[in-house]
Amino acid sequence: MFKWKKLFAAICAAGLLMTGCGGGDGGGSSTSGGDPNVLKVGVTNFADTLEPTQNYFGWVVMRYGLGECLTKFDEKMNIQPWLAESWQVSDDHLTWTFKIRDGVKFSNGTPLTAEAVKNSIERAFAKNTRAATFFEYESMTADGQNLIIQTKNPLPGMPGYLADPLFIIVDTTAEPARDFSKDGPICTGPYMVESFVKERAVMKRNENYWDGEVPYATVEIPSIDDPNTRAMALQSGDVDVAVNIAAGDIEIFKGNDKFHIDEIASLRVVLARLNQKPDHILSDPKVRAALICGCDRETYNDVLLKKTFIPGKAPVPPSLDYGFDQLKDPNAYNPERAAQLLDEAGWKDSDGDGIRDKDGKNLELDFVVYNSRAELPLYAEAVQSDLKKLGFDIKINTVDYNLIDGMGIKGEYDLLISNITTANTGDPEIFLTWYWKTNAAGSNPQNGSGYSNPAYDAKLTELSMEFDKDKRRQLIIELQQILLDDGASLFFGYPQTNIINAKYVDGVIMYPSDYYWITKLIRPAK
Amino acid sequence: MIEALKKNRLFAIYTAAVVVILFVAIFAPYLAPQDPFDGNMRNVLQPPSAEHLLGTDKLGRDTLSRIIAGTQVSLFMTICLVVLLAIVGSVIGITSGYFGGKVEMILMRFADMMLAFPGVVLAIAIAGILGGSVVNTIIALLAVGWAKYARLVRSLVIKLRNNDFIIAAQVNGTKTINILWRHILPNILPMVVITGAMDIGTMMMEIAGLSFLGFGAQPPTPEWGLMLNEGRQYIQTAPWLMIYPGAAIFIVVATFNLWGDSLRDVLDPRQQ
Repeated sequence: MFKWKKLFAAICAAGLLMTGCGGGDGGGSSTSGGDPNVLKVGVTNFADTLEPTQNYFGWVVMRYGLGECLTKFDEKMNIQPWLAESWQVSDDHLTWTFKIRDGVKFSNGTPLTAEAVKNSIERAFAKNTRAATFFEYESMTADGQNLIIQTKNPLPGMPGYLADPLFIIVDTTAEPARDFSKDGPICTGPYMVESFVKERAVMKRNENYWDGEVPYATVEIPSIDDPNTRAMALQSGDVDVAVNIAAGDIEIFKGNDKFHIDEIASLRVVLARLNQKPDHILSDPKVRAALICGCDRETYNDVLLKKTFIPGKAPVPPSLDYGFDQLKDPNAYNPERAAQLLDEAGWKDSDGDGIRDKDGKNLELDFVVYNSRAELPLYAEAVQSDLKKLGFDIKINTVDYNLIDGMGIKGEYDLLISNITTANTGDPEIFLTWYWKTNAAGSNPQNGSGYSNPAYDAKLTELSMEFDKDKRRQLIIELQQILLDDGASLFFGYPQTNIINAKYVDGVIMYPSDYYWITKLIRPAK
Repeated sequence: MIEALKKNRLFAIYTAAVVVILFVAIFAPYLAPQDPFDGNMRNVLQPPSAEHLLGTDKLGRDTLSRIIAGTQVSLFMTICLVVLLAIVGSVIGITSGYFGGKVEMILMRFADMMLAFPGVVLAIAIAGILGGSVVNTIIALLAVGWAKYARLVRSLVIKLRNNDFIIAAQVNGTKTINILWRHILPNILPMVVITGAMDIGTMMMEIAGLSFLGFGAQPPTPEWGLMLNEGRQYIQTAPWLMIYPGAAIFIVVATFNLWGDSLRDVLDPRQQ
């Protein structure tokens, strides 16, 4: 009766051991030359459906080469025409006219008109409240191929807002016959949905595509969430292209001439939101400052992450020109100062257990982390280790990615890690607003940390009306300095982002705004 | 016991191995060459060398020290779990076996229900709801595992209940609690101990499994399953992070299984 159990345990133990041994061969077993009709791309997918207005699912619609917007960003984050051929703003800065490109068809053959664009944008506003956090309009009218948007306030960022995947142009006349969340939306991109489940999408060529020939008849997109597995799928030839290979694996591809790596500084920042609501330990600015300057961020990024991240300091990464070098971080790494600040704030280790305490309460913080990005738990554990020396007790709480957004909004954390894009509309205005503008009675739900500074809010209002590029830049620098001086958040680092492909595929490019993965430029190598 | 060790050479060898493992576990803080929690972050993912015999991990901590410290964590968790399983299972089993009737029916139907679930899946669900921690892992596996012990003990008690010496005790007016304690328990104890000993390996695997999945011990605890999971990211570039914790699990689980087996040979009267 007991024999099988012993056997089972032994086999399992052996199995675990074998898994350990399997890592020896350095890689490069990819032998196939690639099918010129089928492209296979290994990605991470968070979307349950392809409805572009649901959550952030529009990102996936765009990354998969399905949806397109009126505008897009190029490799330098300049705004370029896409479905809109050109645009202009009136002298009073309140009326925008977008000229919609002629001769574009949706994948079902319906021609793209300004009317169709208008309906699609209205649909986004009706279905997702996030649309109104970008801009609000007085009126929107379609006149032939011209789309005219009137706003109440001057909105300098308008062309950038319309590049957000939330505003992917869909054929609203295809509804309700087609359920976008079930069958996928009708858009204008080079590929269209054949089948989609979260784990695996299959796309086929859009025969009605407006911008030249589409190279592949079929694109298969398995979602491989584990970074290590994704790397191995690329090595074995199960996929031709893979996005975001982790620091631990990238070395394997660097030394292999069968693969091409496109690695760039992304627009993202990894940060820990610090909950500073009145009843939280971190509401004391001294404790926040101590926490920030107790973290050796240079070592985390240069050594632990092998320079795949740039050490953090300010909210906006140095890849964007917003004064990174001139910003002063009052809380640069300095453990002696951190200890002194904690002493001043009244946190002392009175019971000799290595953890500081005050009024019978331990200096214990709850650090909420998710796992789907390999660097996040690593940062968390490094912080835990560094801060333990200062007498912090950091409890790491690993949760599912889907819970993070809600926990951030409700403020159910002391520290919460996030990997956020800082310039999804072309500049950091939205980013700086969402996470740090005063959240008065739910007016700015993304700021669940309780951070509030009237001087900061005033500058944000100024920024939202400013059209002059240099003045905007100056304002954004000042905003960042306020956040640094207040110790508003802990900025860990700025990821490099990468896309790696087998060399029999050509035209694979990683853009700084990670909306564009599969494009019509990806084709079989000659 | 000494007799058994003399008579049964295999049992002596396995017992010696178990004693060595227990020694490592108990004296882990003194045996570990370096601090298992605090590494040099400038010195990460080093391959095995004279300074770090089994290399260093992603935070520059010494892998050997972590494996030694992990012996304590893993063994402590496993032994706690098995002892609790035996106690809870025995109490429920004796109660339902001795008293019978409605008590037995309710308890045993409940046990049937627990046995009908796939154990590991249920444990994952419980640990997931409670949140990952050492204590919650033990609770989850306890909630799943007690039914087997309860069933076993109940069947043993039913066999004993109608024996003459029990009836004699009842006729003499012995208190029920004394009957259970003096007459029933000593008779079922060998079987419970054997079952527990045989379960140590399996339970260790399940604990490591839950930790591997993130439902058990949390970082920075040096727990073997967790270490395997941490090493997984570096499987191609730093394989020692998986090989050595895996080997530790293998050796300890195999040793306890063999020991449990030979302990049965020694203790179980039916085998002699």
